[in-house]
Amino acid sequence: MRWLYKLPLRLRSLFARQRIEQELNDELRFHLEKSIEQAAAEGTSPEEARYAALRDLGGMEQIKEECRDMRRVNFVANLIQDIRYGVRMLAKSPGFTAVIILSLALGIGANTAIFSLIDAVMLKSLPVRQPEQLVLLNWVSKGQSYVMSDYDGDSWEDSKGRDTGTSFAYPIYKAIRARNNSFSDVLGFADADQQFNVNVAGTSGLAKGQYVSGNYFSTLGVGPAAGRTIVDSDDQASAAPVVVISYAYWASRFGRDPSVVGKAVVVNNVPFTLVGVAAPEFFGLQAGHPTDAWVPLSTHMQVDPSWSRWLPKGETIFSVRTEWWVLMMARMKPGASKEQASAALDVIVQQETSTIKVPPPGERRHDMTLRLPTIELEPASGGLNTLRREFSQPLWVLMSLVGLVLLIACANVANLLLARSERRQKEIAVRLALGAGRRRIIRQLLTESLMLAVAGGACGVVLAYWGSGLLLRFMESGGDQLHLSVSPDLTVLGFTVLVSLLTGTVFGLAPALRGTRLNLTPALKEGAGRVAGGAPGGGRMRPTLGKGLVIAQAAISLMLLVGAGLFVRTLRNLMTEDLGFDRTHLLLFSIDASRAGYKGESLANFYQEMQRRIEAIPGVRSASMSRHFLVNDGQGGEGVIIEGYAPKPGEADAGGVIGIYTHYVGSRFFETLGIPLLVGRTIRDSDTGAAPRVGVVNQAFAKHYFGASSPIGHQFRFSSSTDPLGMTIVGVAGDATYGDLRKDPPPTIFVPFDQHLGILEWQNVEVRTAGDPMSVVSTLRRVIRDLDRNVPMQEVITQTEQIDQATFQERLFARLSSFFALLALMLACVGLYGTLSYAVARRTNEIGIRMAIGAERSSIVRMVLREALLLAFVGIVIGIPLTLAASRLVSSMLFGLKATDPFTLAAATLLMIAVAALAGYLPARRAAKVDPMVALRYE
Amino acid sequence: MSKPTDLVQGTLDLLILKTVALEPAHGWAIAQRIRQVSKDVLQVNQGSLYPALHRLEQSGWIKAKWGESDNNRRAKYYALTPAGRRYLDQEQANWQRLSAAIGLVLEIAD
Repeated sequence: MRWLYKLPLRLRSLFARQRIEQELNDELRFHLEKSIEQAAAEGTSPEEARYAALRDLGGMEQIKEECRDMRRVNFVANLIQDIRYGVRMLAKSPGFTAVIILSLALGIGANTAIFSLIDAVMLKSLPVRQPEQLVLLNWVSKGQSYVMSDYDGDSWEDSKGRDTGTSFAYPIYKAIRARNNSFSDVLGFADADQQFNVNVAGTSGLAKGQYVSGNYFSTLGVGPAAGRTIVDSDDQASAAPVVVISYAYWASRFGRDPSVVGKAVVVNNVPFTLVGVAAPEFFGLQAGHPTDAWVPLSTHMQVDPSWSRWLPKGETIFSVRTEWWVLMMARMKPGASKEQASAALDVIVQQETSTIKVPPPGERRHDMTLRLPTIELEPASGGLNTLRREFSQPLWVLMSLVGLVLLIACANVANLLLARSERRQKEIAVRLALGAGRRRIIRQLLTESLMLAVAGGACGVVLAYWGSGLLLRFMESGGDQLHLSVSPDLTVLGFTVLVSLLTGTVFGLAPALRGTRLNLTPALKEGAGRVAGGAPGGGRMRPTLGKGLVIAQAAISLMLLVGAGLFVRTLRNLMTEDLGFDRTHLLLFSIDASRAGYKGESLANFYQEMQRRIEAIPGVRSASMSRHFLVNDGQGGEGVIIEGYAPKPGEADAGGVIGIYTHYVGSRFFETLGIPLLVGRTIRDSDTGAAPRVGVVNQAFAKHYFGASSPIGHQFRFSSSTDPLGMTIVGVAGDATYGDLRKDPPPTIFVPFDQHLGILEWQNVEVRTAGDPMSVVSTLRRVIRDLDRNVPMQEVITQTEQIDQATFQERLFARLSSFFALLALMLACVGLYGTLSYAVARRTNEIGIRMAIGAERSSIVRMVLREALLLAFVGIVIGIPLTLAASRLVSSMLFGLKATDPFTLAAATLLMIAVAALAGYLPARRAAKVDPMVALRYE
Repeated sequence: MSKPTDLVQGTLDLLILKTVALEPAHGWAIAQRIRQVSKDVLQVNQGSLYPALHRLEQSGWIKAKWGESDNNRRAKYYALTPAGRRYLDQEQANWQRLSAAIGLVLEIAD
């Protein structure tokens, strides 16, 4: 029960300081009086008695301070006192305070903004039950294993150079779900290749779909917001098809209308029942890429029948073992070990793939391995890692950039505080002389710098909130709709608080330590803290620290400038790169009539009619179609046998089949895109199924396979086709980018899709316009709607927009790094200016003497400028090796230039020197204007 | 065992607690009483008496109340709290054990 006594005492000590002080006085005075009385009673004279009693009591103030210390809340009380004092000091120089808070706010704000993105992309957990128990199953293999000869899904090279992926064959999923001991459950899922066409009461709309196992929702622990979720009995071949939609989709498409639950809907022409809506916070398994609709895995063959076409006879996607397409996420049993679990899974994979026959040596691709993949379990508390793989490097690079900016801001603030602490020397000396402890004064100074940091941090959070939203919108311009929440949460705020406190300590500590290490006598003697001529020992040291800070700023600024230069030039190289086709006045959109029931001949006719109608729109010059867009839309390839061509060693397999990029296109493809025709003819309307089969190749193909001779008239055929009829090369077109902008156009074959109806599904449509492409968009939409309102059409964009999407990362880096580099340069400039101005002010006396004994004004200007340039030069000399070391880390993000690009380095160095000269010029001019008479009288 | 200063400090605490256990008293009276009872052997330094009183008060062992002293002067009286009484008993027992132990050691050494 002691707190009953303690608590009121503490509160009183905090809030009734005046009264407590009074009582302490009264108590001690009472003691004194009693002592005097006693002495008087013993016969001493009153004067002597008083003197003796006082001596007896010892230092009155000391006892008081000790008693105050006993109150335990002295720390808080002192803090409050320090803060009050700090506020007064900072309010006295509002300009100084504003500059510091602003530079800190920019530094901290930039860091918080980038961190909140890192948090959203990489650190946040899925909103499901105990996400830390979830693991994603990865296979790992050196080379592509023969057991996954058809692979559909994500695969990438891991840090050890091994192939890794997340898709598995369905029988393996079934076996793992049935026979493992380490998981409480395993769920399977696969994203739909194309968006679902969800037709409700006659209106079509697109939805990002996912096929999921019956235990998907129960394993994740996600409940319904309305209706029910998918359960095991839905995931059966015989079950009636059901679909569950996300809360966000429910809100955006149906306005949260509860009556849609239980309604009949049509997904890709298959009747479904919409049985429920998932919990509001659940967006799917991939942060940033939400799922709109979930259907059971068992409906896959009906919803997407095209898949079965590629399978060996008699197999379905549920029985085939060489087609790997299902992803697996599992919930670990408490206490189960990942190593044991993956070892057991390896055995299951081995058993389930034992019936796959090893291909004979002639039929193996060069990168094929006969070893089986092994299983590794990856923590999946944050969901799938696609976004993390894509953005982790860019985000960490950005984080480092803003970290450097913050360092510069800190150096700046430290410099300003340092200069100020010298101006406050006298005040500090007086306080030290009056008996204030050095610790106590350091604490006071630190409190002030922490206050600045906290104020800067608070403004920074506001900037960050605004900045991260801006950043996110910019990231979305990469074509992915990133549905990330970047509003500052506890993690982000914690980060900001930590960064603010850290910066406050970093920039505050050095000036505080320096400022209080004083030789009192000269400090008190000096007029306004001015150090005359021969400065005392400490006086020489202090400017050195300031100069060191300026040099560090110059070095870091150089790094940022070079980084910005590299990124800006990368972007410029990409944007001015010759793509081999005309990127202006081109509209693009995707359409898939196969999802509305068109097949084979009728599908081809639909697309031909569409092409005819689009070309009839006023303002449209021509229109064509292709299976892929030229830029950033993936690539297709076929095994090709070229008659009369002897493959080079390692180029083809035993059957003479060479993997070559192929492009299924419509008529007038080359004309529409503006790809020049070099020899022969292009693909025409007359190249129909009935006509002789033809193909056009690009220049790279002609050069690689035919060298100097003409490829026209040569025959080739596709190994996948059972059709013995070959195709004839009828033309050679110029090289145009296909796929990755950063890569040279590969040898490519173009064939008319009309002659390959088997592969026909969706079309990517290209429309060449005479004027502004956006002016025909509404007519275009109407034309498609008039053609068949059940065929959904994806967003229409221009080719320039699509290239912007493809280069968004480069644009992001070019813009942000330039912004940060300019910010850094500005801060460094202010730092240099401040240091030199201060030095000039300190040396007014000296400069006056120099001028009095005949120094020219120009030599004074030179003297100050020389100092500015020297500082910048030392910074550059230190900065160049740092820059070269750091830029190597981003070399993979550059295009068309090396990380050690001499032009960029030279430009950054020159800019740095120019800015240093500018920062030095104003103080130099001020120095030159010193009037010797005034300066000498200045004391 | 702790450092000698702690021992001295702890001892002063014990003396104060024992003194105010008999009846509430102000600082001056506490110092006087300790001197008288110890037959002038223990002279409490005023400089440490008041910080000690404030510390004990903040710890909740004693509580303070302003009251009337002789000639109607206001004085701050300290009294033991229940927690303070338990603490005193415990510390007193500790002290006795300790001094007895020291006594034993000193006898053997003779």
